[in-house]
Amino acid sequence: MITAKSKQRLLDVEKLSIAFGNVPIVKDISFGVDAGEILGVVGESGSGKSITCRSLLGLLPRAASVSGRIGFDGKNLLALSGEEMRAIRGRDISMVFQNPASHLDPLMTLGGHVMESLRHHFGQTRKEARQNAIDVLREVQINEPERRIDAYPHELSGGMKQRGMIGSATACRPRLLLADEPTTALDVTVQARILDLLGELNRTQGLSIVFVSHDLAVVAELCHRVVVMRNGEIVEEGPANEILRSPRHKYTKLLIDSQPSLLTLPPVAREEQAKTPLIEVDALSITYSKPGALPGTRKDVVRALQEANLTVEAGESLGIVGESGSGKSTVARAIMRLAEPSGGEIRFRGRNIAALKGTELSEYRRKVQMVFQNPFDSLNPRMRIIDAIAEPMIRHGLATRNEALGRARELMRQVELPLEFADRKPRQLSGGQCQRVGIARALALDPEVLIADEVTSALDVTIQAQILRLLQRLRSERHLTVIYISHDLSVVRKFCDRIAVFRAAKLVELGSAEAVFDRPKESYTKLLLQSAPRLERALERTGASDAGHGRD
Amino acid sequence: MSSLSALGQRLLQLIPVLIGISLVSFLLVQLSPGDPVRLLLGDRATAEAVAHLREQYGLNQPLIAQYFSYLSNVLHGDLGHSIRYQMPVGSLILDFVPPTLFLIAYVVAISVPATVVLAIVSARCRDRWPDHLIRALAILGMTIPVFWLALMMSRFFGVELGWFPVSGYGKGFLEHLHHLFLPAISTATWLVPLLLRNLRAALINETESDYVTASRSKGLGEGYIFRRHVLVNSVLPTLNLLGVMIAFLIGSSIVVEIIYAVPGLGTLMVGAVLGRDYNVIQGLTLFYALASVIVTLTIDILSTTIDPRVKL
Repeated sequence: MITAKSKQRLLDVEKLSIAFGNVPIVKDISFGVDAGEILGVVGESGSGKSITCRSLLGLLPRAASVSGRIGFDGKNLLALSGEEMRAIRGRDISMVFQNPASHLDPLMTLGGHVMESLRHHFGQTRKEARQNAIDVLREVQINEPERRIDAYPHELSGGMKQRGMIGSATACRPRLLLADEPTTALDVTVQARILDLLGELNRTQGLSIVFVSHDLAVVAELCHRVVVMRNGEIVEEGPANEILRSPRHKYTKLLIDSQPSLLTLPPVAREEQAKTPLIEVDALSITYSKPGALPGTRKDVVRALQEANLTVEAGESLGIVGESGSGKSTVARAIMRLAEPSGGEIRFRGRNIAALKGTELSEYRRKVQMVFQNPFDSLNPRMRIIDAIAEPMIRHGLATRNEALGRARELMRQVELPLEFADRKPRQLSGGQCQRVGIARALALDPEVLIADEVTSALDVTIQAQILRLLQRLRSERHLTVIYISHDLSVVRKFCDRIAVFRAAKLVELGSAEAVFDRPKESYTKLLLQSAPRLERALERTGASDAGHGRD
Repeated sequence: MSSLSALGQRLLQLIPVLIGISLVSFLLVQLSPGDPVRLLLGDRATAEAVAHLREQYGLNQPLIAQYFSYLSNVLHGDLGHSIRYQMPVGSLILDFVPPTLFLIAYVVAISVPATVVLAIVSARCRDRWPDHLIRALAILGMTIPVFWLALMMSRFFGVELGWFPVSGYGKGFLEHLHHLFLPAISTATWLVPLLLRNLRAALINETESDYVTASRSKGLGEGYIFRRHVLVNSVLPTLNLLGVMIAFLIGSSIVVEIIYAVPGLGTLMVGAVLGRDYNVIQGLTLFYALASVIVTLTIDILSTTIDPRVKL
């Protein structure tokens, strides 16, 4: 097929291999990017996608050995000297990173970051650079750039920081932008706007983008073409809508099937509903403050939660959704009695949990258990897996050491962990396996309620799918009540019976999953739903835009 | 003017601190054994003479009354009268302050540039021979006792070679520089390694931070990145340590001052303690505390100008 306008190749990667010592990370991959194209690089952790991205700019650590050819603008980037490479970085190819908070110098203003590129590459004076930086900040849609130019990173929101970083990367009008998971650390509504911005820069400036992401739905929304990577190899490559609609490689199929919105979870057999709810959260308010300068005074009062009312029925799974700072984790902490209410109360089977003491309190603590977001950080690195699972039973005096170890083995079987792992340390396990340990440890005390705080957000989608299936099975087998806290709407929709939406310390909407998703009442819920990238919707859109593309 | 009000709040917080210090310094001296009147009059003084002198100095009043009269005097700028020197403690301290302050400024002027240069060399040549050499010397500098080093240097450079005077303070700026060179070097020998290790660790830590990678991705030169990003982000912990060390030096220049016979606060303090000169000890304690508070406050204000995230 002959295209009317033959596209110009901008980047040509041939037989690129990267190894650290004897460990090959990227194996003989080849791909290209046309001028004005957005290429998505998708893969899970360890697939080599970020390393590939960094190698394009020569930013790998010295220990890495790189072979092959990276053709850009008729030059082989791998053959260039350090000096020549520096002239290309930021000028022709630049990069945007995942975590804007750590990739901006905390002691430099937002404008300073943009200005240093301009001054370095174009030799502009401070005054010229400042004027241009204001224009650049306006282009990346920062409001009041004249004022924000002098703001320090800590004074800006996460989305604003990421815009600033995109601004400092695109200030010199590079032809290629490498974006390494640029929206992963951001809330969905912010993510949607950053994706819009990147699309906008691509259309107006003809900026080519290599967009690295683990999130297929995000890639589907933004990219023209997709490369799927696994274990350092490219398993599939092609136009975005083609690959996502009819994947040929089985790994691509697995990736697509693991998308929460396409996931099929087994149904849960629930016991008959009790008359009174298991947990009642009644007009709960929580404020954080620290001691003021003078004794007896408090300052910096933060209202983490304002007058929230909700109930949790026995056996149900309640989803708590919201963006960072919305108060969703605060609710969980309060139910765990880790945060003191400043108003209202929480009742468990009709009893105010603030009044529990002694044995009643430790009994309550056994009944309500929590699984945490980061599977590595929430396990003691020096403890064997089996001990980590058995510890709560021994601590609560429920079993002798031998009984506890026996039960821990049984729990490992239940969470589908091979028994060979019993003597290993957390570092020897993958993220998903560690999260299974976390779940097994929480189940060790035979709880009635399991609070899962972003348990899958640090995991790859295929692993996330496994963990969700596991939780679903445990709900049926153990009649568990689950409070599932997440920022990911598609996961919550699949997994939860009812959903509570939080925003800015307030409960904005509460209802059954279908009601909240299909007939949202609040405008914020609607905004959340629109912002969340969804594979099916993205496919419809790429289909439409491709048709439009073909006409011109 | 939020920064001004923050400064005002900081100053308000100092009041209870200062009251506490005055109370502690007052009680410490009162509770320690020895009677200044007996010391002044000798063992063979008559009971009437002792009683008379006690009344003259107000030593026969209840403790609490003595404290309040002390406090009110201090607030009027009167630190009392030195029993030994027979002059007001305030002017006595002022007489002894210049050599000590000069010495500390001298030490800082030598230590800070040396620290910065050595730490940068060490961090940039990490795990290569210049780094190993600097770190080995630093450990040596920290482990040599100050009194021993001071004695040896005074003997060798002062007595054997005769390059530097071994005692006194001299007259005029240049003579001060000449007289205090050996004391300053002896002090800097343990101060520099302390600061150096701190700064080196911070530099290495910051070199590996994400914003350095981001700066490289913009094509900025290594030298620029180091100066503009890494160094600025690294100095804060070392600056705070320097503040603590200066406050410490004001009160602990005793060893060096005694060995080199510098007429500074350390010399005054030792004389006052041995002579049970209550008012001088109290005055000095208060002065040390005040100096520490001022140094800390200055460092905190400096920190806010470097790091916009730091609040007073």
